Amino acid sequence: MPDFEERDLVERAKEDPDAFGALYDRYFPQIYRFAYSRVRDQSLAEDVTSEVFFKALRNISRYTYSGHPFSSWLYQITLNAVADHYRGQHGEVELEEGASVPSGAESVDDEVVRRDRSRRIWSAIDQLPRHQRTAMVLKFGEDKKIDEIAHIMGKSAGAVKLLLHRAVEKLRRELPPEFEAGLT
Amino acid sequence: MNDPELEELFQDPAHREVVDLLKLSRPAEAPPLDPNFRTMLRIKLMTEARRTLQPGGARRGFSFSFRPKALVPAMAAVAAGFLIVLGIQVYLQRQPESAMVAVDLSRIQNKSNVATGEPIVIPFSGPVDKTAVAKTVVIEPATAVTKQWQGQNLIITPDHPLAPNTTYTVSLKASQTPSAPNKQPTVQSTPTVAPSPVVVHFTTVRAPIAPVNPPSYRSANVSYGQENRLADAGTVFNGGWTPAGQLLVTRPAGQPGIGASPGASATATVAGPLAVGATDIWLMSGSGTPTRLLVQGGSFPAAAPSGAIFAAWQVTSGNHATLGIWDLQGNSQGTLATLDGVPDRAPVWIGMDRLAYVSQGQLLILGLHTGHTDALTIRMQHGSLAGSPVSTLLAVESDASSVIDLASGSSTPLPAGATSFAWSAKGDLAFVVPQPSGSLLYTAAAGKDAQRIASSPSGQTWADLSWSPDEASLMLASKPVGASSSASRLMLINTDGSGLKSFASQQEYSSPRWSSLGDLVLFTRQDEAGGRAFWTANTGPSQVDPAQKQALAEVDKFMQARLQGDSAVAKDGLDAAGLSAYQGGASSLLPAAGTKFDRYYPVTVQQTGSNPSKFLVGVRIFVSRSGVQRSFFEEQLTLVLKDQRYLVDAVTSTPAVLLGPGPTVLSFDVVPTSPGYQVRVRFDADLRPETVTTDTIQVRDSDGKRVTSTITFDPDNHMAVLTLTLRPGSIYQLVVLTGVTDINGGTLAQEYHAQVISR
Repeated sequence: MPDFEERDLVERAKEDPDAFGALYDRYFPQIYRFAYSRVRDQSLAEDVTSEVFFKALRNISRYTYSGHPFSSWLYQITLNAVADHYRGQHGEVELEEGASVPSGAESVDDEVVRRDRSRRIWSAIDQLPRHQRTAMVLKFGEDKKIDEIAHIMGKSAGAVKLLLHRAVEKLRRELPPEFEAGLT
Repeated sequence: MNDPELEELFQDPAHREVVDLLKLSRPAEAPPLDPNFRTMLRIKLMTEARRTLQPGGARRGFSFSFRPKALVPAMAAVAAGFLIVLGIQVYLQRQPESAMVAVDLSRIQNKSNVATGEPIVIPFSGPVDKTAVAKTVVIEPATAVTKQWQGQNLIITPDHPLAPNTTYTVSLKASQTPSAPNKQPTVQSTPTVAPSPVVVHFTTVRAPIAPVNPPSYRSANVSYGQENRLADAGTVFNGGWTPAGQLLVTRPAGQPGIGASPGASATATVAGPLAVGATDIWLMSGSGTPTRLLVQGGSFPAAAPSGAIFAAWQVTSGNHATLGIWDLQGNSQGTLATLDGVPDRAPVWIGMDRLAYVSQGQLLILGLHTGHTDALTIRMQHGSLAGSPVSTLLAVESDASSVIDLASGSSTPLPAGATSFAWSAKGDLAFVVPQPSGSLLYTAAAGKDAQRIASSPSGQTWADLSWSPDEASLMLASKPVGASSSASRLMLINTDGSGLKSFASQQEYSSPRWSSLGDLVLFTRQDEAGGRAFWTANTGPSQVDPAQKQALAEVDKFMQARLQGDSAVAKDGLDAAGLSAYQGGASSLLPAAGTKFDRYYPVTVQQTGSNPSKFLVGVRIFVSRSGVQRSFFEEQLTLVLKDQRYLVDAVTSTPAVLLGPGPTVLSFDVVPTSPGYQVRVRFDADLRPETVTTDTIQVRDSDGKRVTSTITFDPDNHMAVLTLTLRPGSIYQLVVLTGVTDINGGTLAQEYHAQVISR
């Protein structure tokens, strides 16, 4: 959807329920996927997604275009909703820098190996500190630009770059040996 | 890597390898998702969006909820069938000349019976700048509306029914469309509304009588009254009552609405599959006035027990139909399921949150809250299917008829062949079991422990059961074994099996459905052309006995005198004991100061045993104040025959029942003041000032904490004003608690919550 069309749709959604419904139809898949990537629980992802869109509905009259896609705003709400959830769980457990990532396993054939590596590398991302993990999911899972990630996370672009850099470095150091083999 | 950002960020080959692996390892599979979750969330969101989104982004609220109590006035007003049409005089400013368009405000200006739920139509006789004109429309008190153009008509549709008995002002304010520079005006250029605003005032209808069954309502005493055909034969295919006493009907597509001439008649098709897109669903008044087209291409509507919404089928394209939910304004609340084939029966509500329907011979249960569809291991086609309005029980006629508890999954078998299920409003089940020479009638309290209560006369079969609203009687269709429906007639029987009697003597009536108010019965009747048409019959106390008629005539004279405030004539209808009863405070012969007995009607007439000289007559008396009916009470009059006249010998009365839903929040505004803010909350009724406090009307912050405020109340304008300090640009909640009462003591029906945004 061209930018001007999205902006028009968002403006109409401030008054028109059907326009809001169109926004929901457009952004539900990625918001649900993002929510699931953060909580790894179907029921919880549904709760978060529901909360995101209801919050969006309640506040859409205040939304103003800031040069970023409307989805950035939804991602922001999602992050807050996830954070609220974990606050409700008495604080998110942050891993220290020294925390380890999952160990490897034997591969059987290439496809199985590829899927297994994919699963484990994303499991490794799940174990990263919260901000690193968020930046990595948005960059490598949602294909967002660094500026947009910075907008979503409320940080500077430089801070996001640092988070990504640290995350990749951490993965490089801690991935099991067979990943090294796969890389070469 | 193919991502300049990543290439710039990760120069180290080791890092690049990890990044490449990450990009290759993106999760391919979509996360697990309940397929119904997305749809159900959309339904909820759209419901909330329709409730909260307002054109223009105005920071004003309008009280609305789907509670049946609040809907009753609106729906009854809709039944009145008004279409608000405004004739507006505007000046079409054409450059360099101006032209005046003809005007006629007489149809709306200062009218006092305007329906609450119909669109306001503003016809323009010439071209206007539609966007500019629409933006200038202001309706006061603040009301969320949707504006759209149909040709040269501006249609202003209130998003929710207008408040009853309230004066509204619609104005089109001046709007000047800037002319394009360096462009010569021509006669084809878009004209604009002239600077003079057009202002229209009108008042909505009063709130109708609340649908309260009078304490003395006795279904067993009613008799067949005047009948009324809903529409031309063939123009209603099927129908049913809403809990508020309106009708949801399926009509052939393209039928006319209010005030239009009915189309050509066609043979009625009472049941059976309907052609693609051949039908529409309409809302009708009980007297048969089609008041609103609700669903184009819709069929088989089924009103929810709450009365606020209904489920129905909508044929889309080809051999498919979707099961959806709509409100009584015709707004879609979402699509729930798709059916392969053309539906031939209505969906069935079970309580408020489940629907049952049959697809390809399979019984399916849809949970509205969970979004899950469960296929029961029951095959059925055209057997009887009925859900309890208050529980999770579903009565099913299949190879082995049973009552299924959808909560526990348990099943209670019913007698073999049980059919024609009907649930009462409180959740009791009635059904018949056909026999070779007749029918057996059963009832089962709460769907359990079925008890046989009656047998049909030999050679007669019973079907089409319908509970009376007082649950004391069942109406049914009776016909000789093996006879066609043309021999069917309507019967009444007490729910203990006694008192079988004919309700309507005609032999062509069937499928009775009692309205929730007990005043009307919907039924089908064979017409002269051999088809079937839908009719209603009103019911009233039996007046078959001449002595009863005389007694009622005396009651009417007595009551008319009281309505006129004529004490002398009223006392003439009393004997000594009756006069003593009134003087002793058993009831009020005349209204209290400041009030008026507005009207009355008899609700029951009963003979005392076999004594023809003594009757008990129940009357319902409505009390008004300032021209508005506020309450009613009932009297049970004992009339005895003395000197050829029936005189009131004794009286008992019931407590007054307040009419209407209590006060309603009409609108609110957030007004910056210096310093701080005012939150002005306007109600639709006179309030007891002592109930308007900072305890009952609050503004809470995002943490739910009450914001310190002071409050004043303006009784003339029904307005409470909170003065408080808010953070600019922040979101708060306005909460009005049910402690707010009107001057009659009627409480706010439910808490009012609305978002407040400080500017």
